[in-house]
Amino acid sequence: MPGFDFSNHARNAALHAQGFPLPKATSTGTTIVGCIFDGGVVIAADTRATSGPIVADKNCEKLHYISPQIWCAGAGTAADTEFTTALISSQLELHALSTGRNPRVVTCMTMLKQHLFQHQGHIGAYLVVAGVDPTGVGLFTVHAHGSTDKLPYVTMGSGSLAAMSVFETQWKSNIDREGAIKLAADAIQAGIFNDLGSGSNVDVCVITKEKTTLMRNYIRPNERERKQRSYVFKRGTTAVLREKVVERVDIGKYVTVHEVPLEAEGEKMEVDA
Amino acid sequence: MSSPFSINGGACVAMVGKDCVAIACDLRLGLQSLTVSNNFPKIFPYGDVYLGLTGLATDVATVSDLLRYKVNLYRLREERAISPQTLANLVSSSLYERRFGPFFVSPVIAGINHTTGKPFICGFDSIGCIDFAKDFIVSGTASDQLFGTCEGLWEPDLAPEDLFETISQALLNAVDRDALSGWGAHVYIIEKDKVTKRLLKGRQD
Amino acid sequence: MADRYSFSLTTFSPSGKLVQIEYALNAVNQGVTSLGIKATNGIVLATEKKSSSPLIDPPSLSKVSLVTPNIGMVYSGMGPDYRVLVDKARKISHTGYKRIYNEYPPTRILVQDVARVMQEATQSGGVRPYGVSLLVAGWDDGIEPESTEDAATMSGDSETKKPTGKTGGILKGGPSLYQVDPSGSYFPWKATAIGKSATSAKTFLEKRYTEGLELEDAVHIALLTLKETIEGEMNGETVEIGIVGPPANHLLGYEGVEGAQGPRFRKLSPQEIEDYLTNL
Repeated sequence: MPGFDFSNHARNAALHAQGFPLPKATSTGTTIVGCIFDGGVVIAADTRATSGPIVADKNCEKLHYISPQIWCAGAGTAADTEFTTALISSQLELHALSTGRNPRVVTCMTMLKQHLFQHQGHIGAYLVVAGVDPTGVGLFTVHAHGSTDKLPYVTMGSGSLAAMSVFETQWKSNIDREGAIKLAADAIQAGIFNDLGSGSNVDVCVITKEKTTLMRNYIRPNERERKQRSYVFKRGTTAVLREKVVERVDIGKYVTVHEVPLEAEGEKMEVDA
Repeated sequence: MSSPFSINGGACVAMVGKDCVAIACDLRLGLQSLTVSNNFPKIFPYGDVYLGLTGLATDVATVSDLLRYKVNLYRLREERAISPQTLANLVSSSLYERRFGPFFVSPVIAGINHTTGKPFICGFDSIGCIDFAKDFIVSGTASDQLFGTCEGLWEPDLAPEDLFETISQALLNAVDRDALSGWGAHVYIIEKDKVTKRLLKGRQD
Repeated sequence: MADRYSFSLTTFSPSGKLVQIEYALNAVNQGVTSLGIKATNGIVLATEKKSSSPLIDPPSLSKVSLVTPNIGMVYSGMGPDYRVLVDKARKISHTGYKRIYNEYPPTRILVQDVARVMQEATQSGGVRPYGVSLLVAGWDDGIEPESTEDAATMSGDSETKKPTGKTGGILKGGPSLYQVDPSGSYFPWKATAIGKSATSAKTFLEKRYTEGLELEDAVHIALLTLKETIEGEMNGETVEIGIVGPPANHLLGYEGVEGAQGPRFRKLSPQEIEDYLTNL
């Protein structure tokens, strides 16, 4: 990313000084967790995105791809988690291509924290970074101000307390793959049902030395019932004042390619002698 | 004092149907409670992808022009029309570039991907976070009302004619409960090889 | 006369030539031969990996490179210049495209971007042109040429206008193969060769190339062509091959992401090359 464009900043700051509130960004509200197990790591997230008290997206994706063996769960300002992970993913891909080596989780974590620290917390990304690399299994949390933690199990977001209560009561060392997936999914469900900022489904990503498996909507505890009856209006209900139909074949009329005939001899330009 | 998003008022909604999509907006332009115009459309065509923009009217104009410029350059460079998905990512990265000085707009995209033939809609917040929805997207000062009408009226696999009635009624009934939106509406029904644009009769109060 | 125009700045000679570019082309024409063949379902890039000494460690040398998951590149000419161009091509595919559109650039766009880098070196002060020619092979998503013909024949009886492909770029999927020269000019090819034995290799390819070639046949022809020009022994260690083929989903490294496809470009392992060579 070459950099941000601040050209609206002065105007918006003046507007804010006059008492206009700042724009409401989509927040992921969110419960995200991560847990190390024997030979790998699992991360999980809920799928609710909120804008104030409104549920903006009922099934959004909070597990972000960094590299095949490194994935990130994101909480906080949704646009920031999306673009920060995409930027680091892009930089790591170029790095991996030029070094000919698989990227490491610590490298990813360090790049993220440096990027976030440089922006002094204004980029509101709270991330759980997980992955497997030649040095082993990695699991970190990265906060928007640039601080990081390295723990065997982690939670973040508004549902982090609900999720952590599950880990603190049920986690044990030497947990296996299935146990870790179950524990992570249970922790997310604790967030879904007890935290208002989290909801809908559970997404899970399991990373081992052999392969990475994303399980989108691993658990769907909040399926909406089909409506009991159809609310389709009778055709012709809506009063229409004017109608215009454009056929696709006609769209071509607006963009056409004409062969421009060469006019006078003098206008010809010799390009290839 | 009110937010920059609700100075001018306006509403926009997009919906998915069976092999078709619809996008609709109201026509009001206001200055707080004073209505200035009842002919201010908020939907802009880019090839056969449609972009709806609600929010601060000056930014609606600026963003629609900026994207027209970017999409035209894309078409010249790549000698092809932009797909709805590609436009969505272009809008997203353009908005995020101004993360610390955003445009006060809430964009909505509707179109059919001509490579896959699949309908596509999505919405954004003002800093470019994409909301990929399989059902409907709402934006503007009537968005709370639109969420209600859409949740109640939308159902899967609506034919183009039924989708038109559903989106029109969802929009008209929502804007009638929003003082800052209304004064007529535009509705686009986008099918694989046909686009139908309709002007709706709406309350003028 | 030549001495007067041989500064590091690329300057026109009175006859209208840019001799620096011609020198760069001379460097290319002394380079090891590389070739590319486009098939209906993919592309093959091949080159000889020449080592000046038996002491050299062959695996550390790489001439065929991945640029994006669906685009690969090979060169003839100066190795160091090529590495710089590969880095720049990879970088620009991200900064100038993926970070904007969240997808990788189509082959032609990438070729134009690389060609721009090479052209700028012919018009900037204090730099010399790149001493390489490139072969860029890539696959673009979109409607492939055959399926548009099918669609055209299906609606042939109706009066609807057939898509001309002039404005509708969605009709532009499938394989493409480009050559980029030090001047910054680029050409699309069905099959071509660059480097020392380019002329004889192209003559050979003209005889061997047929329309409707499959990727397997193309690899075969590539090796036959290389065999004509190669000086040393041909084996998995001395030949390098890159192919653009069907998506290699086993190389994706993860599963469960809707719509995710594996890379189409991959390098053949020495063992795979040996297998092709035994069947030659």
